[in-house]
Amino acid sequence: MPAIADRNSSPFKEMVATRSGDIARFNGCCTPQKRSLRSNAAAAKESPVSTPMKLKSPRRRLNSNPNSPANGIKGDFNEKPMKKNWNPKDFEQMRAVKEALHVSTAPSTVVCRQYEQKRVLEFCKVCVAQEKAGSLYVCGCPGTGKSLSMEKVKQQVIEWATMEGLQSPEVLAMNCTSLANTSDIFSKILGKHQPKKKLTGSTSPSQHLQNLYSSKQSLSGSKMMLIIADELDYLITKDRAVLHDLFMLTTFPFSKCILLGIANSIDLADRFLPRLQSLNCKPMVVTFRAYSKDQILSILQERLSVLPYIVFQQQALELCARKVAAASGDMRKALCVCRSAAEIHEAELRECASNLSLTSVEGEFISQQTAPALEIFQSQENNTVRIDHMALALSKAFRSPIVDTIQSLPQHQQIILCSAVKFFRGGKKDTTVGELNKSYIDICKSSLIPPVGILEFLSILRVLNDQGLFKLGQSRDDKSKRVTLKVDEADISFALQGVRFFRNCLQ
Amino acid sequence: MGREKEKQNPSEKALNLLRTRLSNPNFIFKPLSDSPDSNYSKLKFIISSSVTEACNNSILLLGPRGSGKVAVLELVLGDLLQQYPEVISVIRLNGLLHSDDNCALKEIAQQLCVEHQLLFSKVASFDDNSQFMIAMLRECGLAHKTIIFVLNEFDYFAQGKQRLLYSLLDAMQSVTSQAVVIGVSCRLDVDQLLEKRVRSRFSHRKLLFLPPSKEDTERFMEHILSLPVDSSLPHNYTVEFNARLKKILSDERFKELINTYLSFNSTIGHLVRFLFQAVSYLDLDVGFLSLENFKTALSSMQRQPKLECIRDCSILELYLLVCMKRLEVKEQNSYNFNSVMTEYKSIHDSFQTSDYYARNVCLRAFEHLLQHQLISFADNRGHNQSVEFRPVKLLISLAELHQGLKSYRLCPMFYLDLIKIGFWILPLVQACKLHKIPAFDSFLVCYVNYYCCGASFLPLKMVKVAFSRQLS
Repeated sequence: MPAIADRNSSPFKEMVATRSGDIARFNGCCTPQKRSLRSNAAAAKESPVSTPMKLKSPRRRLNSNPNSPANGIKGDFNEKPMKKNWNPKDFEQMRAVKEALHVSTAPSTVVCRQYEQKRVLEFCKVCVAQEKAGSLYVCGCPGTGKSLSMEKVKQQVIEWATMEGLQSPEVLAMNCTSLANTSDIFSKILGKHQPKKKLTGSTSPSQHLQNLYSSKQSLSGSKMMLIIADELDYLITKDRAVLHDLFMLTTFPFSKCILLGIANSIDLADRFLPRLQSLNCKPMVVTFRAYSKDQILSILQERLSVLPYIVFQQQALELCARKVAAASGDMRKALCVCRSAAEIHEAELRECASNLSLTSVEGEFISQQTAPALEIFQSQENNTVRIDHMALALSKAFRSPIVDTIQSLPQHQQIILCSAVKFFRGGKKDTTVGELNKSYIDICKSSLIPPVGILEFLSILRVLNDQGLFKLGQSRDDKSKRVTLKVDEADISFALQGVRFFRNCLQ
Repeated sequence: MGREKEKQNPSEKALNLLRTRLSNPNFIFKPLSDSPDSNYSKLKFIISSSVTEACNNSILLLGPRGSGKVAVLELVLGDLLQQYPEVISVIRLNGLLHSDDNCALKEIAQQLCVEHQLLFSKVASFDDNSQFMIAMLRECGLAHKTIIFVLNEFDYFAQGKQRLLYSLLDAMQSVTSQAVVIGVSCRLDVDQLLEKRVRSRFSHRKLLFLPPSKEDTERFMEHILSLPVDSSLPHNYTVEFNARLKKILSDERFKELINTYLSFNSTIGHLVRFLFQAVSYLDLDVGFLSLENFKTALSSMQRQPKLECIRDCSILELYLLVCMKRLEVKEQNSYNFNSVMTEYKSIHDSFQTSDYYARNVCLRAFEHLLQHQLISFADNRGHNQSVEFRPVKLLISLAELHQGLKSYRLCPMFYLDLIKIGFWILPLVQACKLHKIPAFDSFLVCYVNYYCCGASFLPLKMVKVAFSRQLS
């Protein structure tokens, strides 16, 4: 199996490679190349990761694509250059696209969350300016940009404080899943306040903190502390003590902490912190709603705008945004689907290229020279990722593998599924193995298929239980184990509708 | 004797070769992975592109047991380790062993230490281990090495609070780390078991391992069982072997046999077990595979313990089983030894059979049947009652009893006639119930009783015709 990079390299690249000296692209080993990019990114900290790409690609575009010198010149004249279609066979461009769409790439500006960010920022500014403690609770579904926004707010608060000449607060950002014990959070806060002091054994960390915050002279003159606690619901214990104490820390008279808690459930504050209501210090709640279709679209476009070429057709992006917004509004899923659509497109082009190179009579070099030219002729417009690629990627991401699996099951397993569907139609929800066996034998008899014995029947049930299609209960006697169907009846009917026998059976 | 030895040696060598092949998962799954559309290629593409592009990825491998998920994964990893020797390190976890978070982190830390030749301390706490893992991920990211996490039995990791999954997938969200998480599971809905936070961080790539189609199976069998022409075996022997094999594989009976075998489990693992058995039945004197080998393998793999029990029973015990079956057919669902004896007597009276045993002999036979587990007591309570009064039930079905009687060495044909009633009467009675013909229902039961105790053997066809006429 040839290395991936070899397929995508064209003779034109070899010319460029000799020009940009230290980048070696042969042998399918790309690590030296990566190293140069990473160190560039590390050096230029303010600009986003994709900037080095931006500098290199226009130059390379002119060199590698013989049809495009006109476009390059045109770009110099306009204010907003008309974006070219990308060349998916260019390994560098593919990499850049995937990186732009990767979940871990933090975009430079966070669109669509300005209102929420402003609210949190204002709250923090007030607290820092007045040296007052306060608590805020951020909630929302996964993938709605909460942690990302908090990162930005953190940076913005520090910048603002330095600009205003105030003492910029200390920051403690942590994820509560990494705590072995829920009460370790207090020792961490204490560690930040008094890094050199060791704790004596008598008082617990939370008690110590409370003492600290109750007396005026212990922490006078020290900075405010901004605590960002991610995945707050891991701190919920049976007696809810830890969470409660944490929020109570902000109520003490000389407290110095600004608490930002992040979690998924909207009513965490109401359900688990009822006593705060009486003290009139309930945390402010900022809800991050799930993204709507327009928001997802604008975020995707923002991410793709750092690339100097058009990758996706507009309709494809709209389809993706619509589908993801309707399903969950989760941004990670949208990014994932777009990446997978780009990969499908790449795979399709690779297959075309391999077919072309197989059909060429001459040697490999010559075919590589003629093939790209031919393809440039045929598919200049087809380089973008189209709607059908996006549709395929969406169906892969959203469809459950159940229908495919049922269609590829061996015959007797399908008959058993059918007999279960028929049996449970009457309204019963579970039955015993013995009853199911009888129903199965009846169906087999009616179609003159010899039924399998009870031992094989049990082993088939166990296999289907492993796959998650049935649920088999426990019992001493094999025949009285309880069986429930876990798949929807409609799925099974849909999967088996192609076979006449099952159609008749299930009608 | 020298010639005999020569004749034996090639077949022994061939047998060893075939058996080695069938036990080697690499060899088995390589031919199925050759096309660019196969799961092998897709998996290799995903992992190698993650390695070269330095991006994080996660993927799930789903499929029934024995469909080759771990085998294909090992093939891919082996190839990639050869291709990029210094760049990849593999951490393997199993859900059955490491589903507890502490245990899993300790195992990860230990494997990382072994890979990078560091010292592992057994007393490291959970905190230390998790910080070590995050630090290692960061270091490997800077050094452009990819860590591949293989999580077998992924559904076990989805129990509890899923902290390990969350921390692994969360670490992959940052730019500094470079990791691939591969989950292997046989549950199809395993991503529904994940918490929504974990599911959101998991990229929804799934590779489905489906059993191969019929043509693929045939090609696979031919590939695996053909001897290579350029091995140390004599050339004409190999050619003859392969020619005979081809003839067997294209025989209709063989195709039917394979279809029946694969009709209830069509995974590759299952097929390979069957082929191994068949190859082991190779007759060393003949030296070539024959259809008989496959038939013997099939019958040895489809053992029916209850049938073997029936074959060991005595005639009287069979008689008692038949009586009980007739009682069941007559809708008398709860019966005990006394009712069986009544039936026995009535058969004896009506059919004038020669053997009639005393009650205590029958009781011994009855107890034998209990010991063989062919019948059992229907209730758990009556320990104080004697054996004769407790209700019993049959543990074998009518089909099994019929088959057992047919294969019994000395079974009187007459028993089969007695049993034949069951085959069509029961569905008829059920059909009556379905169509709600109560009068005819009771008539039919009376008729059956009459027939059973009556004299003449009415041909079954006539009764069927009469019944269907009544129905229409």
